[in-house]
Amino acid sequence: MHFQLTEEQQLVRANVREFCQKYVEPIADAVDQEPRFPSENVKRLAEQDWLGIPYPQEYGGAGADYLTYIITIEELSRACATTGFIVEVNTSLACFPLYKFGTEEQKKKYLVPLCKGEMLGSFALTEPGAGTDVAAGLSTAVLDGNEYVLNGTKMFISNSPVAGVFIVFASTDKSKGPKGLSAFIVPAGTPGIKAGEHQNKMGIRGALTAEVVLNNCRIPKENLLGQEGQGFKIAMMTLDGGRIGIAAQALGIAQAALDESIRYSKERVQFGKPIASLQPIQWMIADMATDVEASRFLTYYAAWCYDQGLPYAKEAAMAKLKASETAAHHTNRAIQVHGGIGYIKGQKVERLFRDAKITEIYEGTSEVMRMVIAGSVLR
Amino acid sequence: MLKVITCFKWVIDEADVKVDANSRRLILDRVGYKISLYDRNAIEEAALLQERHGAGVVAVTVAPPTAKQCLKDALSRGPDKACFVNDPSLVELEPAQTAAVLAAAIKGQGDFDLILCGEGSSDLYTQQVGPALAEKLNIPCVTYVNKLTYDEGEKRIIAERKLDDCVEVISVPLPALVTVLPDINTPRIPTLKQVLGAGKKPVDNITLDALGLAFEPCLQTTGILGATMERRRLKFGAEAEDIRAAVGALLKEGVIA
Repeated sequence: MHFQLTEEQQLVRANVREFCQKYVEPIADAVDQEPRFPSENVKRLAEQDWLGIPYPQEYGGAGADYLTYIITIEELSRACATTGFIVEVNTSLACFPLYKFGTEEQKKKYLVPLCKGEMLGSFALTEPGAGTDVAAGLSTAVLDGNEYVLNGTKMFISNSPVAGVFIVFASTDKSKGPKGLSAFIVPAGTPGIKAGEHQNKMGIRGALTAEVVLNNCRIPKENLLGQEGQGFKIAMMTLDGGRIGIAAQALGIAQAALDESIRYSKERVQFGKPIASLQPIQWMIADMATDVEASRFLTYYAAWCYDQGLPYAKEAAMAKLKASETAAHHTNRAIQVHGGIGYIKGQKVERLFRDAKITEIYEGTSEVMRMVIAGSVLR
Repeated sequence: MLKVITCFKWVIDEADVKVDANSRRLILDRVGYKISLYDRNAIEEAALLQERHGAGVVAVTVAPPTAKQCLKDALSRGPDKACFVNDPSLVELEPAQTAAVLAAAIKGQGDFDLILCGEGSSDLYTQQVGPALAEKLNIPCVTYVNKLTYDEGEKRIIAERKLDDCVEVISVPLPALVTVLPDINTPRIPTLKQVLGAGKKPVDNITLDALGLAFEPCLQTTGILGATMERRRLKFGAEAEDIRAAVGALLKEGVIA
């Protein structure tokens, strides 16, 4: 057993850090407050080969391991959770189902440009009445000759206003419940699919999230992803991997909260000495550092399991649960370390606090993570 | 084909150095390492010559075997090959020693046209290795270069030297050695494919035995302490007596005598 990253993983971490210092940190505050989509950096991320990291080079990816991808998300999110998330959605939610379930032709047509960053992808699963209860979705897909006709309304769809292609889930047979769910590839611009207004979120405000409406949207039959009825499985497998990505995002946010707390507590003088010398502050920072490290090991371990071809659903759930709750709790503590100034807009900890919350909710809530873990350990 | 050699040093990342508050001792047990900053400019300049003129680039370093990671870092930045002169004795070298080892290693690489070095290293910044190496190889040396052009027809370089009060433009026949300043270029951040491809590039592992050299480090660090800055929190106005008080305070602190 060893805890050493490979030379390549260490170099990638250093390179992502340098990239963040140069391009991500300087605009992170504006991305949050205006808010705006950091399109200039998305282009740069593509140039660095960071939009399809774990996929083979023949499909436009970088051909690196999953842990390299996870380290990249961690470091990007440490500077700007929005930026980390944009990469995560493209890589985990859009590329993965295409890579795992797509035909050779579908991969060439959609996976290659997604990995190269020529377009971004979006994953349209959630509906107003179907969050955690995925099978309660009302969207339908009806085969009409050589085309499927899609109808329905999708909610909270990340990257959707800028997406070049959507992975859309809709029922091909309502009577079968989850087993009637199917996945489809819908290129943006297809008549009948439309992303709505950007939703005004509490955190990760630069990442575009909108409603997606399908109104008699006709797509060729060959745009079915996998088989009819395989949609639920595709969605669940995609989210299992995505959870490691969100764990990495939460880890980056939590690490940033720790970085900021250490920096500020050494600078801030009260009672004639830096507050870092006061025990209440030391204890908060010690707990923060311990939970961040625990989250990191769980997250890296889940990624390692993925790389080794081992089962990783439980490990991914544990990583996401621990890292997201660490991020939510310790960004709160980080504001406490800062006192009043931490409550002011423009302070990084204020942004981190808002960004952290969503990691306990999307791609499976903490409650779902506990269900997955309990289901696995009590089996 | 233009053959370029670029030299680099693997140094402690100063961002990781911590200072013990009481003893001012440097805490180095968790430091990372990186390619010395100006050497990255030298490597980048070599990579630009590679892109513009199809130059072949070899990156050369002198270090203990534990510095192996530096090779992939350097190779991910463009060079076609690395030359790793390594021996456990190659620590705390004096600049003349480094230049002697580099010269022996470079002679072993066959013909070359241009050697690029950083102006000075991030740690010692003696600015001696480049000129000493040129002297050992008996080739011209151009220092303080912030712009470099290769004249393919004449097989010479035009270098702009940034001096204190002017910019000197020099034309030099090859082979030559150039030391570069940081504003000559902006080193690129290697792409992921470049990082992954670095491990596939050839590396010449060269031992001191192979060069017929042996070294005793002759630089000894007897002590190194962090500098501290303590603010006295004194305020002075602009009245004559305030100025007298300010001068008095400076005298008392020993800043002026």
